[in-house]
Amino acid sequence: MNFKDIRVLYWREIRSALRDRTIVTNSILLPILLYPTIMWLVYTGITFVSGQNEELKSRIMLKEIPAAHEILKKEFEGDKSIVLVHSPDPAADLRNATLDAIVEFVPPKSIQAIDNDFATRISYDESRDASNRARSRAGQKISRYRENYLERQALKLGLTRAQFQNFSIDERDVSTGREVSAFVIVLPIFFIIMLAVGGMHPAIDSTAGERENSTWETVMTTATSRANVLVAKYLYVATMSFTAGFLNLFAMIFCMGTLLAPLFGNNSSLRIPIQSSPVVLIGAVLLALFVAAGMMILASFARNYKEGQSMISPFYIALIVPVMFLQTPGLEFTPRIALIPVANVMMMIRDAFQGVYHWRSIGITLAVETACVVLALRVAMLVIQHEDFMMGSYSGGFGKFVKERWATKRHKDHKNPL
Amino acid sequence: MHAPVVVRNLRKIFYDEGRGEVKAVDSVSFECHEGEVFGLLGANGAGKTTTLRMLSTILTPTSGTATIMGHDVVSSAQGVRKNLGFYSATTALYPRLTTRETIDFFARINQYPADLVEQRVEYLIDRFGLAKYADARIEKLSSGMKQKVSVARTIAHNPSILIFDEPTVGLDVLNALDVQETISELRSEGKTIIFSTHIMSEAQRLCDRIAIIHGGHILACDTLSGLRDTTQQHYLEDIFVLYVKAGQETV
Repeated sequence: MNFKDIRVLYWREIRSALRDRTIVTNSILLPILLYPTIMWLVYTGITFVSGQNEELKSRIMLKEIPAAHEILKKEFEGDKSIVLVHSPDPAADLRNATLDAIVEFVPPKSIQAIDNDFATRISYDESRDASNRARSRAGQKISRYRENYLERQALKLGLTRAQFQNFSIDERDVSTGREVSAFVIVLPIFFIIMLAVGGMHPAIDSTAGERENSTWETVMTTATSRANVLVAKYLYVATMSFTAGFLNLFAMIFCMGTLLAPLFGNNSSLRIPIQSSPVVLIGAVLLALFVAAGMMILASFARNYKEGQSMISPFYIALIVPVMFLQTPGLEFTPRIALIPVANVMMMIRDAFQGVYHWRSIGITLAVETACVVLALRVAMLVIQHEDFMMGSYSGGFGKFVKERWATKRHKDHKNPL
Repeated sequence: MHAPVVVRNLRKIFYDEGRGEVKAVDSVSFECHEGEVFGLLGANGAGKTTTLRMLSTILTPTSGTATIMGHDVVSSAQGVRKNLGFYSATTALYPRLTTRETIDFFARINQYPADLVEQRVEYLIDRFGLAKYADARIEKLSSGMKQKVSVARTIAHNPSILIFDEPTVGLDVLNALDVQETISELRSEGKTIIFSTHIMSEAQRLCDRIAIIHGGHILACDTLSGLRDTTQQHYLEDIFVLYVKAGQETV
């Protein structure tokens, strides 16, 4: 292997790739812009919907409000999102959707301990958004009023708020930011998708694309070995795949730390610990090497870009399927899980995001992924030695190739049993 | 002293699902001398391209031997490619590289001394009148310009042997003449050139010796005057038809 030649070939590939709009979009721009765009869209959507809700008025009827609580009626009247209405047949109006909620004041269920105690019943139509909204608005208003009222009554009896609220729930978080939200669990899935998307176009471009442009023959007549050509192409695809994954990780860490966390009250579970970086980086490199090898093997059988895309698609799906395991609740990163390629790296990264490191499983993962990469490269070397394949005259995919090789081997074994 | 190109009993058999074994090239032998243009003249499917692909190490011969500057095409493929420039009408360039980058890449990958590459690139840009397009991407060039860049990249590493596989296919008359002129210039610089074509006038104009190839066999190999004397025919077209018909009868 000649590293000088590999370097020349590698930079040729990179230079060409950086001038290709599709590759730049899929391997660089998309991973960077995906999260900010998604978050901007979600934020805009939420703002829009809540703005719409603010503008919608709830039609509420107050029924039999006690004289002692007339002030509550005034609070309802003062709320711009509520319109108080009077109806002779409120039940019918509620059914006909001309009324959104009925608030009835009823005597309290228990014996009255304080003066003018009251209870309310809110009638609404669960099937209508407007009615649900009216229920929520009325409920909040009454709860707030009732709490203040009870506090005032308690003070009259010489009780402070702390004294009459002696039953309370005190929550204490001991996780020190290790537990993660469901969103963080989904991140590795996006990560693998980005790695695959980032490697897909370069893999097709460097194999089927070369055939389509008729540059394959050109490079095969240069004074370097085929192994050098293969290694350079492989490193190029792996670089683009890794770049897409790394940029995506960087973008997600940035978005979560600077955009999402402040929105959710500086929730520490939305920040990814910096200590996880080495494990995440190693995982990203291994995955990129594996994805690049798999995609290149498949794409190299294609004679044009379109064929390349259809040949890679099954591999793309096969990559995503094991990652779906991640969503299984309570799934632990055990040594057995570490034997499953791709899913093992995803589990390793997911745990690292939580600050958890199962070193034995990590060791098995590294060994399994390295073995997969070596195996894939061995297959790629076998494929590239095939003359039909070299000339681009091979009509068939990887499956047919393996079948033919197997048949040839069996034929030879049959001829020479010893 | 050995000839720069020596081909002995070269054979290539392909396996086709429908037709079974296909002998694309069968016992082809010839030698090319230093500084000559050796023409392979044959109809489509005669075995010209397969022969040249074996010489340029793209294909491995089924049997027989071939050496380029003393390097065997099978055991010393890299040595062969270092001494060889391969040009084909179907051989394309990288569309997203510039002219300068293309020549630079091919000079480096073909082991031209690294410290002389820049000088060589400038020389070739100047030689082929590409200065105006030196930093333009290949995809933006006209087909005539692409042709020039393609020739420049073929000789970027200054090889002793050049293979031109039907270089004028698909070119207009003026561009075809340009390529022919370049081949003549390269011969005068002492390069050994193997030139395949099915166009009689080209072979007549350019080649010092002509091998008539048909059905994977070389039917005749001589200078034009030698072929005329043997066949008592004046025009190359008539000579070609005579040999092909005789060859078919023999088969």
